[in-house]
Amino acid sequence: MKRLILISLLLISQLPIAQLYAQTTFPTQNGERIRYSSYIEMNGAYISGICVLLNEDGVIQGCLFNEFGITAIEFSYNPERNKVKLKHVIKMMDKWYIRRVLRKDIAQLMSLLYNGKTEYQNTRRNISYQFIPIIDEVTQ
Amino acid sequence: MRRYIYVLFLFCSVNITLYAQQDDTSIRRKIGQIAHTIKTMQCDFVQTKHLKILNDNMVSKGRMYYQQSDRLRWEYISPYTYTFIINKDKVLLKNNRRNDVIDVNKNKIFKEIARIMMNSVVGNCLNDDKDFKSSISVVRGEWVAVLQPQRRELKQMFQKIVLHFSQNQAIVTRVELIEKNGDKTEIELKNIRTNETINSNIFALN
Repeated sequence: MKRLILISLLLISQLPIAQLYAQTTFPTQNGERIRYSSYIEMNGAYISGICVLLNEDGVIQGCLFNEFGITAIEFSYNPERNKVKLKHVIKMMDKWYIRRVLRKDIAQLMSLLYNGKTEYQNTRRNISYQFIPIIDEVTQ
Repeated sequence: MRRYIYVLFLFCSVNITLYAQQDDTSIRRKIGQIAHTIKTMQCDFVQTKHLKILNDNMVSKGRMYYQQSDRLRWEYISPYTYTFIINKDKVLLKNNRRNDVIDVNKNKIFKEIARIMMNSVVGNCLNDDKDFKSSISVVRGEWVAVLQPQRRELKQMFQKIVLHFSQNQAIVTRVELIEKNGDKTEIELKNIRTNETINSNIFALN
């Protein structure tokens, strides 16, 4: 019994922490948006840039673009179904096998961001993702 | 009477066309002349990325240094740091995590990026038919050049690129990059200073 109470207390004590992370690393409220400094590395090469996530009636709309402003990927993520829909992929990456990996990896990453984690490693494909929230002083 | 009006109308329209062509040519000539005299240029810039799908603007700020004819430093300061330096045949990409130096002679894509960036800074790209088909007009007291990409790689990314020139200085003050998906990035160049000495360390690749 004591053990059960202890586990319950531990779980309860972790709840606010999980919510705090979710608030800072994932847009949980309708209309909330978060910007991330993004870094994707694969086989020595990398893509860096900015990602913006917007919560629109519970569905997450996302856009990833490089530092110069060129859009690479636009997607939507349904947290309830853990599904990603790719709306736009830059021509040079627009291949069916890249889309398949992106859909799965972005869904994993979104679910991790919700839980306060900012990194995801696709060990099978040797791709690592890091999305760090930006403290945004100049955004309009 | 009708015939007279018709002839008058034709005469006027030919005149207007000729005037527009001369204007276009003289503007190009002036921009080209000024571009040759710009040995160095430095400025602050404000980049605004308009995200159509999210109805959002992302504003970033930075600083640019240019030295004729093969050195450029394009540096983002806030809200993220990122530096892109072209120094002769080398390009440095620097972010929080790593520095990468690329030899443009071994990387065709970077060679193209470096060439187009260097050509666009002072407006030399207006006379480069291989990359862009361009047209120039006068809009609200500034020269506006609309560049239509001609190469496949550029066509895949951009609908068009618009360069705004100040008439006084004949130099680029604003750049608009309009992408295929409707997103737009505006780069406004501020506090422009030309032909002042720039420390060579600014273009150092380390």
